[in-house]
Formats: sequence, structure tokens, C-alpha cells
Amino acid sequence: MSSITISHLGAGYGKVRVIQDLSMEVRSGETVALLGTNGNGKSTLIKCVMGLLTPAEGSIKAEIDGVTHELAGMRTEDIVSLGIALVPEGRRLFPRLTVEENLTIGAFRRVARKVLPRNIDFCFEAFPRLKERRTQLAGSMSGGEQQMLALGRALMSEPRILLIDEPSVGLAPLLVKRTIEKIAELKQEKQLTVLMAEQNFHQALRIADRGYVIVHGEIAFAGNSAAELNENDLIKKLYMGL
Amino acid sequence: MPDPSAVLNAVVAGVLLGGFYAAVALGIAIAFGMLDIPNLSHPAFVVMGAFATWVLNNTFGIDPVLAGLIMTGPFFILGVLLYRLYHTCFESRGEAPLQGLAFFFGILFITEVVLVLTAGADYRSVQADYIGVSVNLGSVTLPLRMVVPFVVSIGMLLALQQFLSRSFTGRAILAVSQDKLALQLMGVSPTRIKALAFGISIATAAVAGSLLIIIQPVEPSIGRDFIGRAFAAVVLGGMGSFWGMLIASIILGITESIVSDMWNPSWAPAIAFGFLLPTLAFRSGGLLGRKL
Ligand SMILES: Nc1ncnc2c1ncn2[C@@H]1O[C@H](COP(=O)(O)OP(=O)(O)O)[C@@H](O)[C@H]1O
Ligand SMILES: [Mg+2]
Repeated sequence: MSSITISHLGAGYGKVRVIQDLSMEVRSGETVALLGTNGNGKSTLIKCVMGLLTPAEGSIKAEIDGVTHELAGMRTEDIVSLGIALVPEGRRLFPRLTVEENLTIGAFRRVARKVLPRNIDFCFEAFPRLKERRTQLAGSMSGGEQQMLALGRALMSEPRILLIDEPSVGLAPLLVKRTIEKIAELKQEKQLTVLMAEQNFHQALRIADRGYVIVHGEIAFAGNSAAELNENDLIKKLYMGL
Repeated sequence: MPDPSAVLNAVVAGVLLGGFYAAVALGIAIAFGMLDIPNLSHPAFVVMGAFATWVLNNTFGIDPVLAGLIMTGPFFILGVLLYRLYHTCFESRGEAPLQGLAFFFGILFITEVVLVLTAGADYRSVQADYIGVSVNLGSVTLPLRMVVPFVVSIGMLLALQQFLSRSFTGRAILAVSQDKLALQLMGVSPTRIKALAFGISIATAAVAGSLLIIIQPVEPSIGRDFIGRAFAAVVLGGMGSFWGMLIASIILGITESIVSDMWNPSWAPAIAFGFLLPTLAFRSGGLLGRKL
């Protein structure tokens, strides 16, 4: 069992408040989409969950195997150690390490080291491309391959909860489609709980169980199903100018 | 036409000398190339390692190489503490580049003064059975006071290379200068990794110092003699590439040895650099640096 519950979160940069009184949850085994156009606070929210930004107020609770942890105020390294991984915006690979080195470093977490060979095999099976390019420097790969590597590297840490920040950014439409499908497949095989921030609501909703629409740092709409979100007027307004 | 066996001897002497330069350059390669820490004072720590070796050898009769290895412990701790100080005062405030250089420049002078005050400005040397002994291989003479440092240096290089490429900590050290935030997301504290790696970098100075005092007598400011060559080896080899650094060290050693034997010792550095600078012009990443 693994879930995240965010309540009354407030966060920002210096005096600038980006997120206010935001509450949402990701229940065990769900894929939840965090939808919103550019600059509405998706990444800021994710940074708070990962401890990369300290919230000004509110709480972020993660329940993992029956134990509840308060993430607000915890260090990133410790949050990762709990079994929460992030595929960050822009992938953030180690450009001058090889594909295989990038994957291996993903398994730094104690519990992940023991199962390193199995997880490497898993990644190479899921992404045969990475196997072909295992000795190549990560920085020399195409955007699509880099996104696969970023996903693989995050999975190497044996996470229970996976956060993904805008996996579709910078990818051609066909690759976006494939990446999104791959996320659904990996989530199934690894039994993950997934929170995915996306601007591309159409693609995100293909695999999401539910979703939240974030506007100016507040939850503007919580949809209990992909259908509900698809039918929502706010989304139509935001994305189609209707 | 120079005598071929004299040339051969000069080349061999140069290779051995290059091996020692590599031991000095190793710590610089870690600090500059892997950690982005502008530790200008590294050669001063090498000299400090030489004096520590002198103390252990003179008072307890400990073999100089063993003394160098023993000193890696205290030097590691010293390095960790020094990094903590540097991190708190400069790095964490984002004032690293210029202030950091000034900080390490200061450490360089302080170390030298401390050495003069505690050990005096005299030349010091160590005793060991192999110092003064040479082995002849055909027409080549191998002085053991050069062979032992060469072997120890290569051994240290191999050990660290293995550590960096095979251990989880080692790979984190390789990654830390590339993306700190991403490293945090792997569950690693960049500050802890850098402290540890800088500790290792200073620990290599203890070994390099013991090699230095095996090769020649040492006085507190002698670090200035090879500071340029050690830095050049790192830059020319390709920041962060151990093998590139070793090859560059050996090229510098050979050039220097041949030039001093055949022409004038004072030309050696100029000719060595003249020989290697074009390398940099054509390969900006150095001989073997990982380049995108
Ligand atoms: N490091 C930062 N410092 C200051 N302001 C920031 C920083 N990062 C983001 N912001 C601001 O916070 C707001 C939300 O940004 P972000 O969370 O990145 O949105 P999204 O991920 O939804 O595109 C934007 O107005 C952005 O300009
Ligand atoms: Mg974003």
C-alpha cells in the first residue's frame, strides 16, 4: 500500500506565493493526472513532495506499507529512501555518464542495490533501445531515448510511488503516445502508485484513473474519472478556448 | 647524434617521473575535474604528506611508502573538514569561483608557513633500503627511488579507478558535478559525496608526498616546482579522466627528462607545454576526457 495525501499546502519562491491551500490525494495503485497549462504550479507542487522546496504551510503525508511519513521538512535523500521517485522535468540525466551508469546510479538506495541486476534486466527488456545503447553517453541520445532512460533510472530505485513531471515535453506526438503507454505498462508491472503532471491532458487522460486541474496554484477541478475530466467545461476552456 | 642508449635511459626516466606526476595530479583531477573544487593548495598537501612521512620515517623507522599509506587516514579527515569549511563559507552561498580560489590560495600559504615553523626550512630526506639502489636491464638503468614511486602511483590510480567505476559511492562521485539535483533524486546527498571525495583527494596527497620524499629531499616550498606540471597533466589529460591524466603526466615526464638531459633543464617546462598545448587546441576536452 502506498499513497500520498496533501492538505492545505502553501508554497512559493521567496515572497512569491505559487501554491495556496492546495489539497489532493493519490490513493494506492492509482494513476492520477495533475493537469494544468504552463506556469500554474505543477512542478512547484512536485518539488514540495520531493523535498526540493520546503512548503510554507500545510502537510504532505506519504503512507508506505502501513507507515505514515510527513514529507514536509524532510530531506530529498530521505524521501527517496522511503520509496518515492521522481522523473523530473527536463529528465535531468547525467549527460557524461553512460546509459548503464545512469541506470546503476539510480539503484543507490540500499534496498535497490540488492536487486540491481534484476532491475537492469527489467529496464533493458522494457526499453530494448537502452540495451543497444548501454555504453553510449546519456547526453548524446535523442529526446525520446532520454525520456526512456529517465524513466528507467527512476525505476531502478525500486519505488512504490512514482512522480513524473511532464513526460511529454519536447517529444514528437507519436513518441508522446508511446511514452504515455509505456508509463501505464510499467506502472502495471511494478505495481506503482503514480502521480503525473502534464499539460497534454488528452494523452494524460488516456492512462489516468482520475485527475486534478491546477490553475494559479489552486485545484480548480477534481475529476473522479477520465471521462469526467474530458467532459469538463473548465478543461474545454483552458485547452480549446471554448 | 645522441647516443641511443642515453635517449632510451632518458625516456625510461621520464616515464618513471611521469608516474610520480600522476600521483600528484590524481588529487587535482578529483578536486577540479570531478568536484569543481578549485583546490590550488593540493601541492602544499603533497609537501605536507612528505613531511609527515619524514617524521614517521625518522622517529619510528617506518618505511616511507607505508608511512604515506598510514597518513591517508588523517589526511582524509583533514580533507573532509576542509571541504566542510569551504562549503559553509563559499560553496553554499554560491560564491564559489573567485573567492574559492582565494581561499585555497590562502590555505597554500598557511600550509607552507606552518611547515616552516614546525619543521624548519631545511631539506629533509628519508631512509629506506631501496633508495640509492639501481637495477640494470640491458643498457637501461632503473633507480629504485624512481621505480617504487612509479609502481605505487599506478597502483593508487588503478585502485581509485576501480572504486569510482564499480562502487555506488564512486559512481555518485562521477555524477556529482554533472547534476546535483538529479543526484539528490537518486537518494544521495551531494554535500556528503563531495566531502568524502575531497577527503579521498587529500588522502592521495599523503601518498604522493611519501613518493616525493623518496625521489628527492624536500623543503616546505618545494610544491611550487611541480604545481604547474600537475595542473597541466589534469587539464591536458581531460578533466576527470584518470588515464588521460596519466598519459599527459608521462608525456610531460618524458619531454622534461629528454630536454634536461640533452639540452637545458630550465627549458623543460616550456618545451613540455609547447608540445602539449596543441593537443588542447585540437581536443578541447583533453586527451581522453568524456566529451559530448
Ligand atoms: N525557481 C523559481 N524561482 C522563482 N519562481 C519560480 C521558480 N520556479 C517556478 N517559478 C514560478 O512559479 C510559477 C509556477 O511554476 P511551475 O511550478 O514551474 O509551473 P508548471 O510546472 O505548472 O509549469 C510560475 O509563475 C513560475 O514563474
Ligand atoms: Mg513544470
